[in-house]
Amino acid sequence: MDAFVMQNLMNWLVLSSIYALVALGFSLLFGVLNVIHFSHGDVSIVAPFVVLATVQALIATAFPAATPGALVLACAAAIVVVGLIGVLADWLVIRRFRNAPAMMALVATVALGTVIRELIRMIYPQGSNPKPFPNLIETRLMIGDLTVPVFSLFVIAVSVLMMIVLYVVMRHTPLGMRIRAVAEDRNIARLMAISPSRIYAATFFIASAVGAIGGIFYASYAGVVRFDFGIQLGLIGFSAAVIGGLGSMQGAILGSLLIAGIDTLVQATMAEGASYRLVFAFLLVIFVLVLKPSGILGRTVMEKV
Amino acid sequence: MSGPVLEARNLSIRFGGLVAVAGVDLSLSAGEVLCIIGPNGAGKSTLFNLISGIYRPSSGSVHLDGRAITGQPAHRIAAAGIARTFQSSRLFTDLTLVDNVVIGMHCRTRSGVLDALLRPRHARAELEAAAERAGELLRLVSPDLYQRRHTLAGALPQADRRRLEIARALASEPKVIMLDEPSSGMDDRDTDALIEDIHMTMAERPGLSYIIIEHDMRLVAALPERVMVIDYGAKIAEGPFAEVRQDRRVQEAYLGQRAAHA
Amino acid sequence: MMTGTSKITLAARRASGADLAIIAGIELGGALLLGFFLLTDDWRLIVALLAVFAAGFALLQIRPAIEDRIVSAFHAARAQALGLGAVVVLVYPFMMQGSSYALHLLVIAQLYAVLALALNFQLGSANIPNFATGASYGIGAYCSALLAIDFGVSFWLTLPIAALVATGFGFVLGFPSMRTRETYLALVTIAFGIVVHQLLNNFSWTGGPNGLVGIPAPTIAGHSFTAPIELFGQRLPSQANFYYLAAALVALAIVCARRLHDSRVGLAWNALRCDELAARCQGINVVWYKMMAFAVDAFLAAFAGSVYAAYVSYISPDNFTFLVSVTIMTMVIVGGMDNTLGVIVGAFLLTLLPEKLRIFADYRLLFVSVIVILFLILRPQGLFPQRPRSYGGR
Ligand SMILES: Nc1ncnc2c1ncn2[C@@H]1O[C@H](COP(=O)(O)OP(=O)(O)OP(=O)(O)O)[C@@H](O)[C@H]1O
Ligand SMILES: [Mg+2]
Repeated sequence: MDAFVMQNLMNWLVLSSIYALVALGFSLLFGVLNVIHFSHGDVSIVAPFVVLATVQALIATAFPAATPGALVLACAAAIVVVGLIGVLADWLVIRRFRNAPAMMALVATVALGTVIRELIRMIYPQGSNPKPFPNLIETRLMIGDLTVPVFSLFVIAVSVLMMIVLYVVMRHTPLGMRIRAVAEDRNIARLMAISPSRIYAATFFIASAVGAIGGIFYASYAGVVRFDFGIQLGLIGFSAAVIGGLGSMQGAILGSLLIAGIDTLVQATMAEGASYRLVFAFLLVIFVLVLKPSGILGRTVMEKV
Repeated sequence: MSGPVLEARNLSIRFGGLVAVAGVDLSLSAGEVLCIIGPNGAGKSTLFNLISGIYRPSSGSVHLDGRAITGQPAHRIAAAGIARTFQSSRLFTDLTLVDNVVIGMHCRTRSGVLDALLRPRHARAELEAAAERAGELLRLVSPDLYQRRHTLAGALPQADRRRLEIARALASEPKVIMLDEPSSGMDDRDTDALIEDIHMTMAERPGLSYIIIEHDMRLVAALPERVMVIDYGAKIAEGPFAEVRQDRRVQEAYLGQRAAHA
Repeated sequence: MMTGTSKITLAARRASGADLAIIAGIELGGALLLGFFLLTDDWRLIVALLAVFAAGFALLQIRPAIEDRIVSAFHAARAQALGLGAVVVLVYPFMMQGSSYALHLLVIAQLYAVLALALNFQLGSANIPNFATGASYGIGAYCSALLAIDFGVSFWLTLPIAALVATGFGFVLGFPSMRTRETYLALVTIAFGIVVHQLLNNFSWTGGPNGLVGIPAPTIAGHSFTAPIELFGQRLPSQANFYYLAAALVALAIVCARRLHDSRVGLAWNALRCDELAARCQGINVVWYKMMAFAVDAFLAAFAGSVYAAYVSYISPDNFTFLVSVTIMTMVIVGGMDNTLGVIVGAFLLTLLPEKLRIFADYRLLFVSVIVILFLILRPQGLFPQRPRSYGGR
């Protein structure tokens, strides 16, 4: 296979991985809370800013410049901080819409997204401007006549690992069992001495932390980050989760593969690919939903009358 | 009399592995009352859903006045003349009682978007007339409902919801009306009133045929000429109530469950 | 027999002096409040006016009887209320002390009111999510701008053509609603909105990201809309032309909204909003009514788009983004779903608030979003909740 094809296959997998990390959060939150957390993309994109800020703080104080250690530490901090921001978002806003019509929660979280973007813009120094973001791993491997960035392999590996971890947590741990119990019926869960509010907090933490990894990768892949990148990242992650079938983790991954697939394909084959990638990605979304109204792996439940 | 108003032949539906309705035949002539009884989960409501077009049957056919309506969308079937109520009432709770009944007249009124926009007087007059009739209908069903006709349906107590649902179904001037457990959630007094109401509308509209799913054996005994028993999706008996209740299979189906009620 | 009781509703009352006083108080008071709000630059006055506004609603929240009294007054003296309202709208520009900025804000607020009323058919009446109103708005704007620039078609002719084109788009948009619902349908409309925005951005014949410039202004009987209005020895800035045009459009939208709401169609929409399955069993062709809601929305939104294009004479894809659709949606929810007046107030509030908060410069978007969230939490039914229909004697 020639280098061009390999290159694009690689791009496809990397993009899919990044999208999937965000889409999984949407799917998890919808599965458990039946709520669309539209600001999930914006929460996720806070992570690269926390990384940048932490790295700068570390450089200014203890660590010598550009130590990989500083970056690792900063990423870890960002993941935790963003996880907590997710919990906070739920606690301040989203939980108040648990029993409200879906449309209310949707609009509230859209507004929350604006709040988060504006806060990034105002708190981060010169937050309106794009910020260069370091490539997490600069090293490149030479395989035959092919250069493979180690970063790409790393992104794919981490994403697959996260998917496995999420799967194991949800299926085989007490926490996962509780989350699924609450997702099934929060009142019955309460009878089983499970506190739904703690479970919601845990779910928001997990979803946001995983999203944070996606946000960091997204910034690192693009080499730059801006306060409003969360809109597009969120829209794409949301679309991936929906066309895959909301609430299904496999669906979120499948949706990400599809959207990243058309994205890469358009960019690789069309002259003006870069400007038409969103057109085709969202035409795909429409197409899939017209054919499969509940997403590819979503269950169509026939209403019992 | 000519042929039956409503005729279902060999009606079946399966949900995955479960055969919820299995080859049920049903025939109803004009002005007749048919009662369907059977244990919980027998498939009674599902039979209604098949006839009213909410589910598409896996096999079998439904004819109304000799015309096939099998598998047609629910709104067509409603327009063709089959009205129904639901087991757990499904009113338009954020609208007034009058609105609910006027919506029931949807297929007896005509104005569309263009009429509403370009011939507002005409559209309005039609709606006012419908509201007028809705008021009359509510008064017929219960003076109490009539008094409350401008309040929201969501605020009604259970028994009145059932009445309103019946009024809404009657509003479409159907040929067949299907009531799914109309007495559920009613006490004895309400049930007696309900039986009264049904007798009254029968006198009022002689051609109208009824299918009623019921658990309350008092109502079953008081109303219908014919009873049909369903168990595990299949018809196990049919005939006058007095005969059917003697049937061994019926007693077995009800044993332990409903025997005490009967 | 209770003769004729079915005719007696709260609407049939004769208008009393108290009714007229209430109407005059509300309409003139509202106009005055709005006028001060538009003309002041003093942030203390702005905050005070907002406080008065909020206090009014707090009062309604605590004492619903007041709202009922007001509504009954407006029902009893409909003609007088309409007449006074029309006079207020007509003379309003003369009260603006020649401020073209205030008039500009009023034009924009009125266009958003039309958009919000358009979306209300779906979101309010039928509870169908639609995040593509911004796209219909854009299609209307581009359509009439292109017709005017490339073919020299008169504005008055582009208006209906653009509306028809957008209505076609509305049908296409509504097509997937045949099967998809709720969140899934919301995403379909989001996707449509993004596709339209991106295409406007990419096509060369739409001017790409730079958009279209030099869209000609309409003329009536030789009077160009870019010229000031000279009347009764008063001179109104040129924005006043578009103020009256936009006001006419709002009036059209209100008439459409009222007529549809008080018709069999409005009832069918309300029915499927509450319980789609039960609606189907009443003989309502749910798919058709959903498509109609999309079509009516696009039709009105396109009118607003055409007027906007002619007004600013320059449009670009960024005027019609996803966030514009969200803003329109927020106006409907904040104002009150399925309540015509509420939706208009919501549109005015959310258009004027960010403008007037310019004093907070950088913080205003944050501010507005926080207010929206607080609103959704504290008064989820909106400023003016839906009211039951009344029949008879109107
Ligand atoms: N949409 C559906 N999907 C799957 N199974 C269904 C569906 N609707 C009904 N069933 C199943 O079909 C069977 C018959 O249900 P149905 O509601 O018709 O019973 P019923 O006779 O009305 O009982 P009840 O007296 O409790 O109302 C039940 O086992 C039910 O779980
Ligand atoms: Mg049943």
